[in-house]
Amino acid sequence: MARTTPTFTPVGKYALAIILSFFLLISDINYQVFSSARGFVQATGIYGLLIIDSVTSNITKFNVIHKDKQKLMKINKDLKNQLSILRNIVFLEKKSQVLASDLINLQGEILTLSQAKETFIFEIASFGLKNYLCCSSHTLYLQNPQKLKVSANLPVANGNSFIGQTSSLDINLIKVILFSDIEHILPVKINNFFCNAKGAGKPLRITCTVIKSPEFLKIRNNDPVFTSGLGGVFPRNISIGRVININNSVSNESKITIALDASPLESNYFGVLINL
Amino acid sequence: MKLSHHFIIFITIFAGFWIDEWISEFNIREYIFLADNIPYLIETSIGFLIFCYWVYAMPEKLHSSAALIHGLIIDLCFGSAVGFHMLFFVSISYIIHVYVFRFRIFSYFQLIIFFGTAAVFYLACKYLIFFPTNYSYLLLIFSFLVNSAAWLPIYFGMRSFRRTFLK
Repeated sequence: MARTTPTFTPVGKYALAIILSFFLLISDINYQVFSSARGFVQATGIYGLLIIDSVTSNITKFNVIHKDKQKLMKINKDLKNQLSILRNIVFLEKKSQVLASDLINLQGEILTLSQAKETFIFEIASFGLKNYLCCSSHTLYLQNPQKLKVSANLPVANGNSFIGQTSSLDINLIKVILFSDIEHILPVKINNFFCNAKGAGKPLRITCTVIKSPEFLKIRNNDPVFTSGLGGVFPRNISIGRVININNSVSNESKITIALDASPLESNYFGVLINL
Repeated sequence: MKLSHHFIIFITIFAGFWIDEWISEFNIREYIFLADNIPYLIETSIGFLIFCYWVYAMPEKLHSSAALIHGLIIDLCFGSAVGFHMLFFVSISYIIHVYVFRFRIFSYFQLIIFFGTAAVFYLACKYLIFFPTNYSYLLLIFSFLVNSAAWLPIYFGMRSFRRTFLK
């Protein structure tokens, strides 16, 4: 009964397929007709497996390297943190040492500045230009609207350098005697040579009359001139000008001409250090 | 039948032949001292049995052309000569198609005997054609036992697979 159940089994197609298969098999066994095609397909499969194996091994290798790298990164991070801590410790130790040194220096400065000073700015009231250009008296007056008690012998600056010192307080006008005034004497230092520079009576000029000495012989033109601080009015080591002429006479005395840097004509406001 | 279904069927057949290759590479004689001098005893035909299952399960969808193409690709990938698997696939396909409804009333044991015998015949021809020096009756007997035992797992496994992926 089951055998007679209708099924579609085309005998001709199967016979043809069997004959074709048989023909191919005989031709391939005897003449190797399809060996190249078969070899190509099988080689492709082998290459596929090799590629898969290579990819797998590379992924495994990458994972191992990644894990190692992560470990190294962790170690690196820990070392960086430790280094940062050590740097901070060293820095703080250094700073504490510097701070201690600063405190020591500050104590010295506090002792020095026991007399507190403060800078006040004053506007010019009058300038004796005629005398300044022609004559030996070089003075100017500053306004004092706040009526501050300004004593004599206080340094006066024009913003670049010192130009002179206070002389007196005349009806709330502060009289200032300039360095170039013939009556003004300023202790100066040229290299290691010290002298008292008098006003030359000419604009921006002061002179030192000195006895020749080994230190004097080392002075050259354009050598810078600094305040020596020995007069007790100006602080020391403030640049005020440079040497422009050295008059070597036959006698033991010589005259050094100094050109000042700060001109009183260049400014209308002047600062004065006042003792509080 | 859709082309994708043919592709799925071929993948299962290909996997069966790949498993056969993998098993044949496992040399049990290396692990048994006394078996070192005896010939090769077992050859599985899982791929061939899977093809038989597909024809048995869906005879109306797998005809001579499908058997021919599947056999050609398997020959190219696994065979020693083009035409061998084509010939056997077409032949077994024809036999199953002719007796498919008779097989439906067979018991599992009868099916085991039939497909086990078919697998052994396939192996015998294979050894006679390609490896005549390795041909032995012991090989055929043990292979018959193994392939017969493999039929039922293949049958139920592939049926479950078919009902899942080829509805």
